[in-house]
Amino acid sequence: MSKNDDILNIPEATTVPHKRARFSVIWIIPIIAALVAIGIAVQRFLNEGPTITITFKVAEGIEAGKTFVKYKDVNIGHVTGVNLSEDYSHVVVTAKIAKNAKNLLVKDTKFWIMQPRVSLSGVSGMSTLLSGNYIGLEAGKSQEKQRIFNGLDTPPIITNTEPGRQFLLKADNLGSLGFGSPIYFRQLNVGQVIGYDLAKNGKSVDIKIFVNAPYDKYVTTGTKFWQASGIDIALGANGIVIHTQSLASVLAGGIAFETPLYSQEAVPAAENTAFSLFDNREAATAKHELQADPYVLVFNESVRGLSVGAPVTYLGLEVGEVKQVSFHYDAATETVKPKVLIVYYPERFLSQFDNRQIIDPGHDKPLRERHGGLQHLIDKGLRAQLHLGNIVTGQLFIAFDYFPHAPKVKVDWKNSPPQLPVMPSGLAEFHLRITNILNKIEKIPFDDIGRDTKKAIVTLDQTLKDAQKLLGRIDTEVVPEVKTAVENLKRAVAAAERVLVNADKTLIGPDAPANQELREALQEITRAARALKGFAEYMDSHPEALIRGKGQEKGQ
Amino acid sequence: MTAREPMAMQSGLALCKHCGLLSKLMPAKETSYCPRCGHGLAFRRKNVIQRTWALIIAAAICYIPANVLPVMTSITLIGAEEDTIIDGVILLFMTGSWHLALIVLIASVMIPMAKLFALAYLLITVQRRSIKSNRERVKLYRLVEFIGRWSMLDVFVIAFVVALVQIKPLMAAEPRAGVVFFAAVVVLTIFAAQSFDPRLIWDSTDTMENRNE
Repeated sequence: MSKNDDILNIPEATTVPHKRARFSVIWIIPIIAALVAIGIAVQRFLNEGPTITITFKVAEGIEAGKTFVKYKDVNIGHVTGVNLSEDYSHVVVTAKIAKNAKNLLVKDTKFWIMQPRVSLSGVSGMSTLLSGNYIGLEAGKSQEKQRIFNGLDTPPIITNTEPGRQFLLKADNLGSLGFGSPIYFRQLNVGQVIGYDLAKNGKSVDIKIFVNAPYDKYVTTGTKFWQASGIDIALGANGIVIHTQSLASVLAGGIAFETPLYSQEAVPAAENTAFSLFDNREAATAKHELQADPYVLVFNESVRGLSVGAPVTYLGLEVGEVKQVSFHYDAATETVKPKVLIVYYPERFLSQFDNRQIIDPGHDKPLRERHGGLQHLIDKGLRAQLHLGNIVTGQLFIAFDYFPHAPKVKVDWKNSPPQLPVMPSGLAEFHLRITNILNKIEKIPFDDIGRDTKKAIVTLDQTLKDAQKLLGRIDTEVVPEVKTAVENLKRAVAAAERVLVNADKTLIGPDAPANQELREALQEITRAARALKGFAEYMDSHPEALIRGKGQEKGQ
Repeated sequence: MTAREPMAMQSGLALCKHCGLLSKLMPAKETSYCPRCGHGLAFRRKNVIQRTWALIIAAAICYIPANVLPVMTSITLIGAEEDTIIDGVILLFMTGSWHLALIVLIASVMIPMAKLFALAYLLITVQRRSIKSNRERVKLYRLVEFIGRWSMLDVFVIAFVVALVQIKPLMAAEPRAGVVFFAAVVVLTIFAAQSFDPRLIWDSTDTMENRNE
């Protein structure tokens, strides 16, 4: 019964009437879990982007699940499958694109496989060496949606979004340019070639270039483009001129541009403006002068060394160039003379003045109507003269200078182009003298002189040896004899002295007969010599007289 | 298992779990409290089955995103990679550490699932008042309770990796939503196992016997 007692002793639990809930609060947990899970599922479903297919020629380094699709280096999707096309000719890549990037997928969107590329103009895609290749894309501008694309073989060089402007260059040939060839402005890389194609008529090449902002504003309507490929070496009256841009452009080619000083008023060029591409900087900046006045110069001397393109200077500054060198028949003197056609670029001269109207009042009129000023200058003594530009190469140029004492010349302005007066340069004379000196120097038989000298030295050596021997003998043998001889001589001299004193009286006196006879004999000899000279001269010119005689020759 | 074994419930007695006082409990529809410490008293905690079911269902719901969503992003020089648990298992298996793969597969995928099934089985049998293999069921319950904490292994691994592998830019790891769900699965199953009352397994035997009597 102890058991029952225990039970009886057990205290009763206090009770409170309870409000029983039908459902346990615990159900909130699975409800929350379900809501969160459903929320995530819904979010995923809503974020599900479109699936696209891109066809490539080869799927280099593309792997399903591992290759990303990147736009501006941002992941916007990943490759979900790589399959061969039905005819095995290309690869079909399917990719899932994030929903927020779906607006990028329009008709003209371009896809390409980004992989490391090394070319002369640079290295690209280095990051893919580590991360593996990825699919790059460039957003199109179209509004039309598209889900099937054709992949490009090479990445486009410029993306639409890059700030800058495109321009079109027209060139005779492509040269060493290619995709990505750099564009230089003051030797700064400011853009690149983004494409090229043969012009529709096949007569030129259209090169598309892209100049990055902010440099694109330096491309104005007056800008000149030229090929900066390789090294441009020109040999002219200015000496050797070498132009290069960078080493890369020497190897890979490039284009440089510049706005010449005289066209600084030009406005920035519009997008896709067409420019000519010149072969070199000279051609680019010299050609297309706003105004070019032709003149003719006729020289009385050789123009050897004057080449087309040689500068024409005015007071030492370049204002024009030689355009043509040819022959000219001068009817008045019945001679052929060299004729030089030059052009004068008034812009080069006038653009340096603010008050050009004062310097050259009629500069905007046609050439025929504005010769007044020039005639005035010619009256002051303005003459053209050939100058030696480079003493080594012999290149000439034409200089206009003032010769106040030059005879007055009236220019016939009716001729087109007008002929301007020239001044002899003295170059020919200078040249002749130099030539003569050189010829003379050439004629000196240095070889023979050398040989003879050598011989003479040998002989001299021998002679000296002999002399030494002789001296030895003189010392031993001759000297004693000489002594006696000298004594005899002394005596003889004394005797002679006496004789001479007497002889003076007979011979040297003015009336001395010997003197008279001597004079006569000398005169005779002079006469004979004269005759001989005459004969010799005759013989010189008529050697045949020796055989034929003098008389016969005269008869003929 | 004799029917005569006295049970506290049949005697109208209940033990306070907190202060250990045995009190007489009226089987009335009233909430009872321990007269000594004031804690709630019941023969069996109310809504045990319902509560366990709720936790199991919540765990089951979380189990799906835990396995579908990535648990970790590993960022290396060559890019970022998001991995689910199964991805990790496959990666381990592919790289030759099949035993590690097996451990992860068992600990992170199979055990949570097995726990869910085991608890569900226990609940169903209790609800159907099954009297068969009571001992085995209790053993199963003990196993589930014991094994529960080990499933947190994955969560700990990720926590460690994320904390330690932060050598940017060479390597870095970041947790992803999956691991939260995974932790939720583990925690919910532990709670479910805790809330389940193994005495329920034996209750049915008694009621059955009572009925038979």
